[in-house]
Amino acid sequence: MGVLVPLYLAGLTALSLPLILHLVRRTPRGRQEFSSLMFLSPTPPRLTRRSRLDQMLLLLLRLAALALVTLAFCRPFLRETASLSFADLTGKRLAILIDTSASMKRGGLWQQAIKAAEKQLADLNPQDDVALFAFSDRLQTIIDFQKEGSAPISDKPQVVRNRLRTLKPDWGSTDLGTALVAVASELDSASDVRQSPLEPQIVVISDFQSGSRIEALQSFEWPERVPVVTLRVSPTNTTNAHAQVLPAEEGNELADVRVRVVNAADSRGDQFTVEWTESVVPPSGGKAGDRPKAELRTDVYVPPGQTRITRLPRGTDSLQADRVVLRGDDHDFDNTFFVVPPRKLEATLLYAGRDAAEDPEGLQLFLRLAVANDPLRQVEVRPLDAAKPLTAPGDVAPDLIVVSQAISEELRTTLTTFVEQGSMLLLVPDGDEAATSVTSFFDDVEFTRVAAETVEARESRSEKYLLLGEIDFTHPLFAPFAGPRYSDFTKIHFWKHRPVTLKTPATTRVVARFDNGDPALLERSIGKGRVLALTSGWQPGDSQLALSSKFVPLVGALLDLACGGTEVAESVAVGQPVTLPASTPPEPIVVQTPDGREVRLEAEHSTFTETDQPGIFRAKVGSTETRFAVNLSATESLTTPLDLEQLEQRGVRIGIEQTRSERIDRVRQQRDTELESRQKVWRWLIVVALGLLVLETWWAGRAERKITA
Amino acid sequence: MTSPNNTAAVRSKGRTSSYIDPAALMRIKNLELRAKAVVDGFLSGLHRSPYHGFSVEFTEYRQYSPGDDLRFLDWRLFARSDRFYLKRFEDETNLRCYLLVDLSRSMGFHSLSYDKAEYAKTVAATIAYFLTLQRDAVGLITFDQAIREYLPARYRAGHLHRLMICLEHELAGTATDLGLPLEQVARTARKRGVVVLLSDMLAPVEMLETKLGYLRSQGHEVVVIRILDPAEVSFQFQDESMFFDLESGRELYVDPRAARVGYQERFTDHAKSLARVCSGLGVDVYDLTTDRPLDLALFDLLNSRMRRGRQVARRRRVS
Repeated sequence: MGVLVPLYLAGLTALSLPLILHLVRRTPRGRQEFSSLMFLSPTPPRLTRRSRLDQMLLLLLRLAALALVTLAFCRPFLRETASLSFADLTGKRLAILIDTSASMKRGGLWQQAIKAAEKQLADLNPQDDVALFAFSDRLQTIIDFQKEGSAPISDKPQVVRNRLRTLKPDWGSTDLGTALVAVASELDSASDVRQSPLEPQIVVISDFQSGSRIEALQSFEWPERVPVVTLRVSPTNTTNAHAQVLPAEEGNELADVRVRVVNAADSRGDQFTVEWTESVVPPSGGKAGDRPKAELRTDVYVPPGQTRITRLPRGTDSLQADRVVLRGDDHDFDNTFFVVPPRKLEATLLYAGRDAAEDPEGLQLFLRLAVANDPLRQVEVRPLDAAKPLTAPGDVAPDLIVVSQAISEELRTTLTTFVEQGSMLLLVPDGDEAATSVTSFFDDVEFTRVAAETVEARESRSEKYLLLGEIDFTHPLFAPFAGPRYSDFTKIHFWKHRPVTLKTPATTRVVARFDNGDPALLERSIGKGRVLALTSGWQPGDSQLALSSKFVPLVGALLDLACGGTEVAESVAVGQPVTLPASTPPEPIVVQTPDGREVRLEAEHSTFTETDQPGIFRAKVGSTETRFAVNLSATESLTTPLDLEQLEQRGVRIGIEQTRSERIDRVRQQRDTELESRQKVWRWLIVVALGLLVLETWWAGRAERKITA
Repeated sequence: MTSPNNTAAVRSKGRTSSYIDPAALMRIKNLELRAKAVVDGFLSGLHRSPYHGFSVEFTEYRQYSPGDDLRFLDWRLFARSDRFYLKRFEDETNLRCYLLVDLSRSMGFHSLSYDKAEYAKTVAATIAYFLTLQRDAVGLITFDQAIREYLPARYRAGHLHRLMICLEHELAGTATDLGLPLEQVARTARKRGVVVLLSDMLAPVEMLETKLGYLRSQGHEVVVIRILDPAEVSFQFQDESMFFDLESGRELYVDPRAARVGYQERFTDHAKSLARVCSGLGVDVYDLTTDRPLDLALFDLLNSRMRRGRQVARRRRVS
């Protein structure tokens, strides 16, 4: 015998009501106004027969009727089976989704997460199926559900438990939305296909930080039968801030950098320090350590939930510092921001020309001036000494050779050898004679000799000038000018040029043309290097190029092209692919990760995807080395707890965590309800109660008649 | 009804049927009309109507002296004789009557459709009207634990109306002080007169002796009319209930069946002590229950006057 709504048993207290009414002393009901109480004295309360129980049978009948009505409200039923066991429960298909993003590295969170997952595993029944997924910026299936047709894994919870212990949080950001969508779709479709009686359920163990991405849920219709149980792990200390170096302002690459410091909304501290730190490899070898630059430290005050931008000075002697470190918060995982330090390149430039180094009408002076103040390079300009042999043993081939004079056949052979080895040759003929040597490198180019002009004609021609009409901005030399702000070359007048024509078909590429269609810049690859030819010089006699603002960047681009780029790569977030500069011809690229691992990329692949940790990566293509910084995603540092209602607002069905015994209770309750609605004992109780009331009425009438009689 | 005079009681009992039913009378809202109804009915059966001749009797002429009121100058005589004479009339009244009406809250008790106060007011109005008809001066004092209204005894046009208005006032007070109005009369009434005290007398009566004695010593004739509700006399309540004192607001749990005997004993004792005090001073006490016709009250008053007159005559004869 059981009751469905035991709360109504409290109604049995109503039984005391007739008893109390029976026993209570009757206070006078009436109130009589009287002129004066001077002749009256108070009457002591009299004990009458009312104070004792009389009409016992009537009282009992009434009590019994009340009790029966109360019992009927409690919906009693006769229980058939004694008790339920765990085996009676319907099984569930449980997906444990554990957050392995970088924010889980915070103090004690990972241990809490493991503990929560183990608790879930301990509460499983033998008929339940379980799968383990880990997610950060991508979802990993650690242990999948049991596949149809495959042999069941014995003691799956233990297997899951073992794999769980091998898991560690990585450096990824948190993409909660995508992970939930993927797991929910899988669970839903699996339940559809297999017609399985197992109840699907997702348990998410995460710190649910506000930086979690949940946008993917927006466009996903959540399957109604898949409930999500959220288990939040939270740290004791909540102060967390992170620093991020912002892209440099135009023309101010090396001065103070701007650092954005973001403090989480639930932080307690608000005083932080940012400083440059250099990675130092000790001379004795061993592990690289950090050397903070104390003089390059800035204190910054950021109230919780706010952002401040501060300037961090970078001294000229600390250009090698490769990271900005923030101090003053409770969690270190996001405190280091890596920046690729600019490199100082050493380059050799060989100049072969008739003009002296200080000749203001010559080419060499402007070339020297343009390369002199390059902060990123140390360029050594050597004039070509005809007497001295060009190739001495142990000599390094020059990176760039600029030739403005006519050259001998012997020199041409030497230069071709250099170019084939990887040097770059720029031909800037200063006269018709020199122009003929262009054709010796470009066999498909024909020099059109112009007849000697008179002085007048020359003067009148000075009024006429040419402009650069057609420029290929995709070429590395002009790529820095590709933006609309810089692409205007129409201010540069060219008075003199060596007209050349290309034979068809030509292998030579015309990078720029004058507005009359004559080629201005020609390019051709020979071996590993390349040969460029300018048909007009930059000296004031030929053009305004040397005096224009474009000249220095153009020479810079030329040097970049000759000896590899020095541009500082933008920082990418962990998990984002990096496109590495392609080499010509294609060569395999070896990328060295910050922890010393080497990843080899085949020649046809230039996108590096294994950016799985923050730090400076080095990519080696042949002899050139490109470095790029990988940093933690800025959203990962937003450690303020996420309001879980946002998940509900995006349609996620939030379930309640139920232990096995709670589920058994629920099943038992369902069975009881079913049983009760079948038996309907309450009807009989009401019938009996009505019968008792009829009896009571009859008995009361009889008693009254007796009294009146 | 109990009365010190048995003959009067017997006579009045016999006449009750021909009197106006007090319940019907109380339905007349206007106090003056009520009094008129009682008095007219009473007079028509008693002696001839007073509505004959002049209301003011001429007595003598007196020579005018400066300062005399010119209203009384006889202009016709002046025309005839060229002399100034004043006409002298008989005195306006020969009786001064003070009505002392208790309007404390205890008078608000009623078991009939009207309360004791209403009844007392009607009796007072009736007496006032009757005396005014006879050109007697009537004064009024209403009181509870203090004196509320005081009108000196006068016979004037409008005086009766003012008196009626004073009687209309609401009940007030939390106690009854019977001594105060008696003192007031003793202080202000210079001439001898009749003092009629209309009250339920539900107050200690011990102190009445000195006050009444003082009045009596001034030559006033005093009549006490005790107005009682029939329920106060019989105390025929059935159910036990909280009894609420109208004056003091006190509450008392009383089972009437158990308390009846004690109540009646104390009530009778009180009446007896009142009667003892009054009879010692030559003061008549009449008990009037509110179910009795009002003209009986008037009759009692006149009867007392007549008896008094006879006693005085007898005393004179004896002396």
